[in-house]
Amino acid sequence: MAEARKTADGRMDASRFAALADAYGSALHRWPQAEQAAATRFAESEEGRAILRRAGRLDTILDRHRVEAPSHALHGAIVAKAATEVRQGRHRRFWWLGFGLAGVGLAGAVAGLALVTVVAPDTPSDHYVMDANATSFGDAGPDADTEDL
Amino acid sequence: MGADPDEELVRRIGAGDPAAVQAMVARKLPRVLSLATRMLGDAAEAEDVAQETFVRIWRHASSWRRGHARFDTWIHRVALNLCYDRLRRRRERTTDELPEMADEAPLPDALPGDEGRRVQQALQCIAPRQREAIVLVYYQEMSNIEAAAAMQVSVDALESLLARGRRALQALLVGDDGDD
Repeated sequence: MAEARKTADGRMDASRFAALADAYGSALHRWPQAEQAAATRFAESEEGRAILRRAGRLDTILDRHRVEAPSHALHGAIVAKAATEVRQGRHRRFWWLGFGLAGVGLAGAVAGLALVTVVAPDTPSDHYVMDANATSFGDAGPDADTEDL
Repeated sequence: MGADPDEELVRRIGAGDPAAVQAMVARKLPRVLSLATRMLGDAAEAEDVAQETFVRIWRHASSWRRGHARFDTWIHRVALNLCYDRLRRRRERTTDELPEMADEAPLPDALPGDEGRRVQQALQCIAPRQREAIVLVYYQEMSNIEAAAAMQVSVDALESLLARGRRALQALLVGDDGDD
């Protein structure tokens, strides 16, 4: 955001005043709020008045552009759509809320399934039972064989 | 940022209050219509944009929550997006590029009572982003911070757009660049 650019004693210099007039025109109420007090003081100087006079010429022309007030027909057409659209907006919100809750439920189910998988003890796999090295006392693998030798 | 003067009205619209609907249209329609008319330079298209803007207001009223921007700023952003959609469609139809620089040849002098139309023509001659900045700050009376938020630019960038836009308008309407 643009900082208020003033001199050390809080006064505005001519170049900043001119830059603001170039951008915002001659009406100080349109100028950045943080700089209005300093600008108002500078505007009382001869130089300030000259800058505002120049900017004011364009403002006078711009002010000639007026937009007609909205017609009753336009006003009525916009109001007529309101009830339906607000209701549909609420329904859409309701359905999104429903989808959201369903999503939370699904996520809970997935998390629960994952927890069961992690916590539950492993059951011996068919592969283990069918292993050729397994005995009724457990795995009699190569280590057991070596100890016997 | 202070309280949003529109927040309560939006809440009532979301709750289905018909009086709030009427109040919102009375409060915002002139602003939206002015914005669109000056951005597009076409009264009929501006009315269409105003209607579409309000449809979005009605649809979002029950879920609208204030974020970084005020409701009025949000409405302006919605209306501006709709205006840009139409400007893009025009460009596609004509296959001409939107002017980035103004044609700085002064417009012919207006007949008495026709100055407003001349200003409208000049606004359409300058770059759309410059026009947008001038419309928001000068005609819509938005503060520099609100206008920058609506345009999604920094305040410095806004000031640059304003100054370039005003210089272009000065050249078109007064016949000089304001450096006298």
